[in-house]
Amino acid sequence: MNADVAIRTRGLTKRFGRTTALAELDLDIPVGSIFGYLGPNGAGKSTTLRLLVGLLRPSAGSAQVLGHDVSRAHARIRTRLGYLAGDFRAPAALTGRRYLDDLAALRGCRGTTATDRLAERLAIDLDRRIGSLSHGNRQKIGIIQAFQHDPDVLILDEPTTGLDPIMQRTFLGMLREAAAAGRTVVLSSHVLSEVDAVADIVAIVRAGRLVIVDTVDRLEARTRRNIDLRFDGPPPLAELRGTPGVVEVSEMDGTVRVTVEGSTVELVRVLGRHDVVDLVSHEVDLGEIFLEHYQGAS
Amino acid sequence: MGATILRSTLRDSRRGLLGWGSGIILLVGIMAALWPSVRDVYDTELLEAYPEAMRELFDIDAMTSGTGYLDVELFSIVLPAMFLLAAVGRGARAVAGAEQDGLLDVMLLGRPSRVRVLVEKAAGLTVGVVALGGALWCSIAVLGPIVGLDVDLWALTVGSTAMVLLGVVHGLVALAVGAATGRRTRALVVAGTVAVAGYVLHVVGALVDAVEPWRPLSPFTQAIVNGPISTDVPFGFVTLTATALAVTVGGAVRFARRDIGIG
Repeated sequence: MNADVAIRTRGLTKRFGRTTALAELDLDIPVGSIFGYLGPNGAGKSTTLRLLVGLLRPSAGSAQVLGHDVSRAHARIRTRLGYLAGDFRAPAALTGRRYLDDLAALRGCRGTTATDRLAERLAIDLDRRIGSLSHGNRQKIGIIQAFQHDPDVLILDEPTTGLDPIMQRTFLGMLREAAAAGRTVVLSSHVLSEVDAVADIVAIVRAGRLVIVDTVDRLEARTRRNIDLRFDGPPPLAELRGTPGVVEVSEMDGTVRVTVEGSTVELVRVLGRHDVVDLVSHEVDLGEIFLEHYQGAS
Repeated sequence: MGATILRSTLRDSRRGLLGWGSGIILLVGIMAALWPSVRDVYDTELLEAYPEAMRELFDIDAMTSGTGYLDVELFSIVLPAMFLLAAVGRGARAVAGAEQDGLLDVMLLGRPSRVRVLVEKAAGLTVGVVALGGALWCSIAVLGPIVGLDVDLWALTVGSTAMVLLGVVHGLVALAVGAATGRRTRALVVAGTVAVAGYVLHVVGALVDAVEPWRPLSPFTQAIVNGPISTDVPFGFVTLTATALAVTVGGAVRFARRDIGIG
């Protein structure tokens, strides 16, 4: 297998009874890249990630991590993985430090300095009982346990859940550093904006099937987003309609909704010549990306 | 690596074990305090007043000796029940409970293999139940002589071992079923059913001749057939140990290859 590929799946399939949670997934994730795995809830993201770390057994197909088959050579890879489950939970009765020390021992590393450094960075007190922590702080414990043994591959299922925006930024910084140091990161999300800031490659899965794999830039180039604008004075509707990238303009109660495809450079240039009193850019809807993809494909 | 999971299991179950241990010591204390008056009562003709079947079932004739009193009042129902409850609860929590609480994932991504994790959990359960057996032995050995409840210490060792084995076997059934299925409730139900069926077989087998030949199938019969407090070590101890091992291996085989966290 190619040494530059950290994760490779071929025909990876998982069925639970009659339900197919994941169907024939083919992926190649290069070493040192950040892979954003997107999809609505229940699309098969968590199933894929649990297959990659060996907690689930494939019904068909195979998954290789760092050159080893996950099912057959689990012992050779499992301590090189950092995994954060989608619904991460930790024993309520223990302090964060006790729990993380247990895990460090389990992985054969005495990662106290690494643990302390991560805790400081994420601003969390490890001497408190986990049960007394807020949801966001418990999630930080989950992030620390995934990072503390300096794993080669990080598999993170909706890692930013419960983190405030500042912590999200800190966390994304940690991901970038990990990738820069040659680690491979897989993170799942149901929101594109969480992923597009850091990911090199994005895959979108829906109903157990891979719909798109592409670079973030290319995906964004064909993504439509809605922007709501309010002007001081009559809105320049005609000018907006003529702006490159703008595909639709509508007005309601003095608010103008502009739909832009790809880059917003030209739109911002036009808006600069007018008095914009309010601007709201809406989250890109994954559903819309699917729709465009299917329209583009047909 | 040094048995990380065994150590954390024991550390985390310390408080629960202290609770069960205190309960056992308290119970022994109460029964010991009652012994002088019980001895006087059974010395009278009250003994003859019981129907024959009840005398046989509860071995009331034995109540005139200290050993018989402990056998009947503690080692036949109350202590087995306590050891079973403590061990089965622990067994069901060990893997299935941890899995349903979302705590098992990271445990299985450390150095120890799944089988190793299971073995260390089973060892943790066994050590915990042995500690309870130790508390039982010590409390009777210390409190007994104070109230004139003299029991042969070797016989007491055999009786305590019988309680430990009953607990461990049923606890490992719960652990193995939990490991095989990932469901705590199923583990509790199966272990509970085995316990109740075993006990009924043991009791009914003592009274009904037609059932008697099936009695060796009962873990209770295997463990306490001679006493339970007896200087003879029953062969059942070997059978029970073998059963405990077989059950654990069976659980491990399934656990090693199943999906985790979908229960």
